[in-house]
Amino acid sequence: MLEFLRRNQVLLSSGLFLSFSLLLLVLNRGGVHRFDPLGAVFLEILRPLQLVTTQTSGAVGGVWGRYVNLVGVEKENRELRDRLRGLEEEHQHDTEIELENQRLSRLLDFQFEAPSQVVTARVIGKDASGIFESFVLDRGERDGVRPGMAVVCADGVVGRIAQASPHGSRVLLLSDHNSGVDALVQRTRARGLVEGALSRSCSMKYIKRSDEIDVDDVVVTSGLDGIFPKGVLIGRVSAVTRKDFGLFQVAEVVPAVDFSKLEEVLVLTSPPRQVNEAIDAIARARATPTPEAPTPTPLVTPSPTPRPRTTPLARPTARP
Amino acid sequence: MRLLALVMVAAIIGILLETTIVHFLPLGPIMPDLVVILCVYLALHEHSVAGALGAFLLGYFVDSFSGDALGLHAFAMSLIFVLVYLMARQLWMDNVFTNVAVVFGASLLKAISVAALIAVYVSADYPWRHLFSTAWIEAGIAALATPFVFSILDGGRRVGGLD
Repeated sequence: MLEFLRRNQVLLSSGLFLSFSLLLLVLNRGGVHRFDPLGAVFLEILRPLQLVTTQTSGAVGGVWGRYVNLVGVEKENRELRDRLRGLEEEHQHDTEIELENQRLSRLLDFQFEAPSQVVTARVIGKDASGIFESFVLDRGERDGVRPGMAVVCADGVVGRIAQASPHGSRVLLLSDHNSGVDALVQRTRARGLVEGALSRSCSMKYIKRSDEIDVDDVVVTSGLDGIFPKGVLIGRVSAVTRKDFGLFQVAEVVPAVDFSKLEEVLVLTSPPRQVNEAIDAIARARATPTPEAPTPTPLVTPSPTPRPRTTPLARPTARP
Repeated sequence: MRLLALVMVAAIIGILLETTIVHFLPLGPIMPDLVVILCVYLALHEHSVAGALGAFLLGYFVDSFSGDALGLHAFAMSLIFVLVYLMARQLWMDNVFTNVAVVFGASLLKAISVAALIAVYVSADYPWRHLFSTAWIEAGIAALATPFVFSILDGGRRVGGLD
């Protein structure tokens, strides 16, 4: 018996690992609570390397691009070229800073408008396979990020946190086939579920056949899934499919966020119910303005340099 | 066991490239698969439980940075390991051309097994067109990179005194 085990140890152990892989697959099927004993360790190991690589490759890419453009310049212009390159590098650096500044300002504005406690995070890595859609963020459990939390940016819904380690986390994008967000058509309040697909598109399913929905309609979160607060922009309807039979119709949705250009995001760390209650309280207070109207407590994370807030709890969807 | 450590270090570098720099390249949906080369290397050189464990961990590592379906790549890598191991017991596979061919086949096998598992366990509407349009190219890139990666690993073995 021992001889048999020793002789076939590779095959037996491989069989064991194959079975364990299938077990992992079954255990993590569609569940919010992930059985992933090593994922956080791997995330933690790779996070600092991803941070450095992403920052370095961005800078090197800019320099390389300029180098390629300058290869054809003639010899007698060498001095001018060097000078130009120096100036361009400087300009590129300034432009990068300006663009980053603009993005962060937009995020900051959004942060002040978004009625929630938020953590700002940087995208430091993307999905390792070409099949799924996920990003690695540079913020983790130490910053209050937990699996299941909503991730948004100034343009709208990004996704939800799938996994978190002490210093990093992974966000499953809206366009991933495992994502699902309870949604409303803003104009008609028709309700449905926006889901991603393996073909990298999004569709709004389970819309009642009788509900009115048209191309170009804006789709926002309903707040009923317990993950996203109410009224965050998801995208626009690009096509509607209504078959001759069945209870529901399906709408193709183009996400408002361009995931390929995403660099910074916000993780909403306060419970959506608290956020929704605050939104409703503000809406009621605005509808009946009286001197005695209670002032709701702002849920925004305090900033070291607070800016004046004119619309403390404005809906993110109010942005164009 | 030291070979396993070497391969895991190489896997960290491979995943780091796949999650960062590769996304800057204009490759569209094509994702060069570097980890499958490491899995084949393990199967050719580490005929032990540590080798099987290594293959599983390689897949698990990829799963940790890919989507939400844990176990897909772990299964595929374990499958590749056992099949290449069985082949290596029967055939002489210690030359560049065989290695390149095996990695090409292993990459295709990985794509097919991942697609099948997705169709069964994750989502029935798997876009098979994606598999047929990109898997060949991904396997080709992995095969082209094989001599380079194998020579680096051989160098690492020599430096680490594993030969």
